[in-house]
Amino acid sequence: MPADVDTGRQAEARDEIDAYRREVRAFIAEHGVRMPAEGVRVPRDADHEKRIRAWLAALYAAGHLGAGWPVRWGGRAGHLPVHDLVLMEELIRGDAYRPIDQVMLAAHSLLEFGSEAQRRELLPKIRSAEHVWCQLFSEPEAGSDLAALRTRARPAPDGNGWLVSGQKIWSTDAQWADMGTLLARTDPDVARHAGITAFVIPMTLAGLDIRPIREMTGHAEFCEVFLDEVRVGPEHVLGEVGGGWQVVTSGLASERAFVGANSVQLERMFTDLVALARAARFADGTAAITHEDIQAKLAGALVRVEEVRLIVRDAVDRILVDEEHPSDGPVGKLAYTELNVALTELAMEIIDSAVVVDDIAADVVARWHHNFLWGRALTISGGASEIIRGLIGRQLLGLPRA
Amino acid sequence: MGLRVDAAAACATECGAALHGGPLAGLTASAHVLARSNGDPVVDDLLEGILVGERICAFGRLAPAGQPSPTGPHSTDNGVRGAVGGEDVRLARRVDGAPQADAFLLLDPTRQCAVLLTEPDTWQLTTGPDGFDVSRGCADVAVRADALATGHRLTDLGQAVDLYELLLAADALGSVRRMLERTVAYAATRHTFGRPIGATQAVQHRLADHAVRARGMNLVVAEAVRRLGTDASHDTDAAGGTPGTSGTSAAGERSRWVALAGASVSSGAPHLLHDLVQLTGGIGFTWEYGLHLHERRVHQDARLAANPRAALRSLVHGAGWADAR
Ligand SMILES: Cc1cc2nc3c(=O)[nH]c(=O)nc-3n(C[C@H](O)[C@H](O)[C@H](O)COP(=O)(O)OP(=O)(O)OC[C@H]3O[C@@H](n4cnc5c(N)ncnc54)[C@H](O)[C@@H]3O)c2cc1C
Repeated sequence: MPADVDTGRQAEARDEIDAYRREVRAFIAEHGVRMPAEGVRVPRDADHEKRIRAWLAALYAAGHLGAGWPVRWGGRAGHLPVHDLVLMEELIRGDAYRPIDQVMLAAHSLLEFGSEAQRRELLPKIRSAEHVWCQLFSEPEAGSDLAALRTRARPAPDGNGWLVSGQKIWSTDAQWADMGTLLARTDPDVARHAGITAFVIPMTLAGLDIRPIREMTGHAEFCEVFLDEVRVGPEHVLGEVGGGWQVVTSGLASERAFVGANSVQLERMFTDLVALARAARFADGTAAITHEDIQAKLAGALVRVEEVRLIVRDAVDRILVDEEHPSDGPVGKLAYTELNVALTELAMEIIDSAVVVDDIAADVVARWHHNFLWGRALTISGGASEIIRGLIGRQLLGLPRA
Repeated sequence: MGLRVDAAAACATECGAALHGGPLAGLTASAHVLARSNGDPVVDDLLEGILVGERICAFGRLAPAGQPSPTGPHSTDNGVRGAVGGEDVRLARRVDGAPQADAFLLLDPTRQCAVLLTEPDTWQLTTGPDGFDVSRGCADVAVRADALATGHRLTDLGQAVDLYELLLAADALGSVRRMLERTVAYAATRHTFGRPIGATQAVQHRLADHAVRARGMNLVVAEAVRRLGTDASHDTDAAGGTPGTSGTSAAGERSRWVALAGASVSSGAPHLLHDLVQLTGGIGFTWEYGLHLHERRVHQDARLAANPRAALRSLVHGAGWADAR
């Protein structure tokens, strides 16, 4: 049995957690829709989309997702954050379609900054999966340096709201999202962080042009989004006018325990690595795993996997008791995403060195090819590793800003 | 059994951080074995001496019998001399604390037992194998074969080997922690081009990576300590006396975590410390500044367990990859 969170400090609640785990497992077995591949969310066709939405709605309806929301908005009294972790672990193990990050972020932004009317209208539609959300933050000239964004929201001539023009890019799921969280500059004359406003907009507004971009994995998951005098009103403002940066930085307020599931992700990858080494054959017909050099690399990788699984679990232990350190998230992200890349590189090294891989492992090879390419997304998006190292330098080591 | 693994590990980490000269890992492992054979007057006497800090029982491993001549090219200077000369000797290589020791507990891996030597005329130190680590004394030990045959044989080794290797990892971890803290502090105060070097990404980002890696090592060691401590306390001697074998799955899992800890620290710490010298510049290159003392020490910690390779091989065998077809 892998070392899940329930073997850690949560031991006293183990029975309860085990029971929840069984419940979730059964639920996934019965209703789950498969995850096409890591990082692949966009439905293949209308029927696929229908099944995805039904599955996401079922997760909310059963109280597995959104359980930590205030009860008034559908949350479950007595919800334990550790349940979020168990849910995510089981979704990964069961290869099930996972909740979309941008939707969860939207939910938390609404809960924290939304007006009463916005919450009443939009939160139920997240729960019913009628709304999928995307995030319209990055721009061609503003990625790591997000506050450099230039998309402008100018007061409309009729005095009613704004007209927004500019270009967004790398907007994951924008091609099928119903709603978007948009950042635009409402005031170019104040300090750059202060002039930004967040909006929640329907993706059907006139003046939006959404074009999928093909990624290096071959899939088209993210998009560029052009905004040409898109009219938005005061009802679309999320939080305060000029308060967009707070929306950005409040970030992952809830379901933080999800990060712990990276531990399961690593466990699965390592299993796949061993499966690959058993099936990959060198020129003399021997399996890669029978060779000492490959064995040593696997053992070295195992050591790194256990290190990072413990780093993640250590952070989750603190999250679960609300004693998180600001650097825990960055440390966990850097450790996980960089090790993930290293594992995919090792897998590629084994595949490259082999003359053939046994047929039974064809799916393993395909998975490694995809994960090798996809792994880079994780070290770029959500704060590139270089940015994260700076956060760790400041927040954990107390060094001055570089 | 009167041993708190967590306390011993914390102690080892402090010893590493402070470059303490005593053979803590070996002494603790020896005491662990001796405590399991109490009732024997020689053992009791030695154990009592150890507990009051008057005696040192070094811990080592006998090389297989019939190994080639104990010494290399400098055999005329370093060779076995005096009472323990000639052909009828067996060697224990690289015994930590040998110069200070007045007793030796030497594992005989072929017989799955350990031999206790308390009579000084039964052994002879050759000079240290390389003298690289200057914070602790270490030497090869030549033992009279007849003393091995007639010496005290202890068969209940408990978790001595796991304990020894884990404490070596904990020792190296102390060096890593102390030197990382020191380098971070230095990076915040040393100015070049009008600002702290720690405000330069090329420096700051490497320190961040090192901090993350050090946290990983730390947690793996802590996990191994936790498992060794928990399992050892309600271990009913089931797997006792068979070092390196996994008599029970609990023992196997325990050894696996010790190997993970050994491999993690021995493969991570040396590079990490070597880079800290780089990040400290010329002052870091001086004898006086002392970063090198910790480098020397962490390499010695690795060598005493033949790591990283031994730990990695142990993981390979534990996972069954060595038997794969
Ligand atoms: C798969 C994927 C999905 C994404 N989904 C979304 C989405 O849904 N919505 C959205 O708004 N955005 C999304 N993004 C965008 C993502 O947030 C940005 O790519 C990221 O912030 C990096 O910005 P950039 O691409 O402009 O790279 P840049 O900021 O130009 O960075 C390029 C390189 O320079 C480094 N660098 C930049 N600044 C510094 C510095 N100060 N010091 C040291 N190094 C530096 C970076 O680390 C990186 O290695 C997605 C990206 C990817 C890859």
